[in-house]
Amino acid sequence: MKLEIKSLVGERCVTSEDGQRVYDKIYPKLAAGESVCLDFEDVKFFSSPFFNFAIGQLLKDLKPEDLNELLRVEGIVPDGAFVWRKVVENAKEYYKNPEAKKAVDEILKQQAEDE
Amino acid sequence: MKQTRRVIKLDIPTINDRPADFDKLFKLWNEAKGYSLDITFDFSTCDFLRPNAIAFLGGLARLVESRNGRVTFDWNTANDKIFAILRQNRFARVFGYTGVSSGPGNSIPYREDKTQSIYASDIKDDIIEYLRHEWLGSGLVRMSPKLKNAIVGRVWEIYANAFLHAESGIGVFSCGQFFWRMGLLKLAVVDFGDGIPATVREFFKYHPSAKKFSASGCIRWAFEPGNSTKSEGTGRGIGLDMLKEFVYANRGILEIYSEDGYALFRPRKQEYGLLSSSFEGTVVNITLACDERHYRLVDEGLSGPWF
Repeated sequence: MKLEIKSLVGERCVTSEDGQRVYDKIYPKLAAGESVCLDFEDVKFFSSPFFNFAIGQLLKDLKPEDLNELLRVEGIVPDGAFVWRKVVENAKEYYKNPEAKKAVDEILKQQAEDE
Repeated sequence: MKQTRRVIKLDIPTINDRPADFDKLFKLWNEAKGYSLDITFDFSTCDFLRPNAIAFLGGLARLVESRNGRVTFDWNTANDKIFAILRQNRFARVFGYTGVSSGPGNSIPYREDKTQSIYASDIKDDIIEYLRHEWLGSGLVRMSPKLKNAIVGRVWEIYANAFLHAESGIGVFSCGQFFWRMGLLKLAVVDFGDGIPATVREFFKYHPSAKKFSASGCIRWAFEPGNSTKSEGTGRGIGLDMLKEFVYANRGILEIYSEDGYALFRPRKQEYGLLSSSFEGTVVNITLACDERHYRLVDEGLSGPWF
C-alpha cells in the first residue's frame, strides 16, 4: 500500500489527530505483515505530536526490525526526517518500560526533600 | 433603583521580559483575578511593553470578562509609542478602540484563540499561517522557506502544549514583535489553564510528597526528554525538549513561566528559579535571530533504517 500523506493530511503534519488518521490506515496492514510506503512529497511542516501518533505508537506492539522491513518512506525533507528520528528514539525508550516515566525521578524527589 | 457597577483602576507598569518583569505581570494577575467587577487598566506609569506583556494583558482581560467583569483600557493614558504599538498589533482594536488604525510597523499581531475555537478543524492552518506569514513573513527576515518551515514546526510545539492546558482555561493568547535593530524576533504565547507544576503534581498525586514539588522542579521535569503527563501509550514528551535544543543550537532564548516557577534557556546558560508572585497558567516567550546565518539545521540524513 502506498499512502500519499499530502492527500490524506495536507502539507502540515503537526497534530496528533492527523497522526492518528495515518496510524489507523497503516497499522492493520503492517500488523498483517503487508508492506506500506509513506509518501511525504510536498509535505512542508512537521511536529512531534503528528509523528507520536502516526508512527511512535506502532512500536507498542510491532518490532523495529519488522517495521524496517515493511515500511518505506519517500519524499520526506530533512527536517521531517529529523523529527521522525527523534520521535522513534523516544518511543523505543518509552516502550521498553512504559511505567518508568510514572516513577518520581531525582529532580522531583530532591525538590520535595529540600522543603 | 439602578445599581452602579463599581470600577477599579489598575496601573500597568513598564514591563520588559526579564524574570522581574514577569513578577510584575503576575502581581497584576493577582490584583485583577480577585475582582468580578469592572476594571480599567491605566498606562500612566508605563514607559513600554514587550509582546509578553501584551499577550498576557489580553488574556487577563478575557479572564476578568469570563467572570462577568468588564474591562476597559484607557488609551488616553498611554504614551505615543505604546499606543502606536497597540494599534499596530491590533490589540487596541480588539479591545474597543475605534479610531484611526495603523499599519503593522514592526509588530506581529495580537492573537486570541479561545477555548471553543481550538477544536476547530482549521486551527492548525490558522496558527501556521500566522507564524509563517505574520511572524516570519516580514521582508526583513532573511531566511529560506526551508528554515522558516522548520521554525514553524518547532514553534507549533508551544501551541500544541498550550492547547492541552487551555482545555481548563479560557484560551491561548499570542503576540510578537520584530526588533530590527537587534535582528531579533519575539513571540509570546500565554494560557490561563492548569500550569505545568499543577499538571505534574496531579500526575504524581499518589506520591506522598507530590504536593511539595516546587514549581521550578516540575518545569525542569517537564523539559526532560520523554517526560509527559499525557502518557496514554504513545511515548510523548519530546516536543519541548526539541524546541529547547533548537533554540540552544541557534543562539535563541526560550523562557517558560508557570505558577511561581520559571526556566530560562539562553546561549550556554540554563536557569530554573522561583518568583515571588504566582499565577495560574503558563507563558512561553521565545526570541530568535532573524538571519539564516545564525542557524545550523540538524540534518539527520535520509538514509538508514527508519526504526
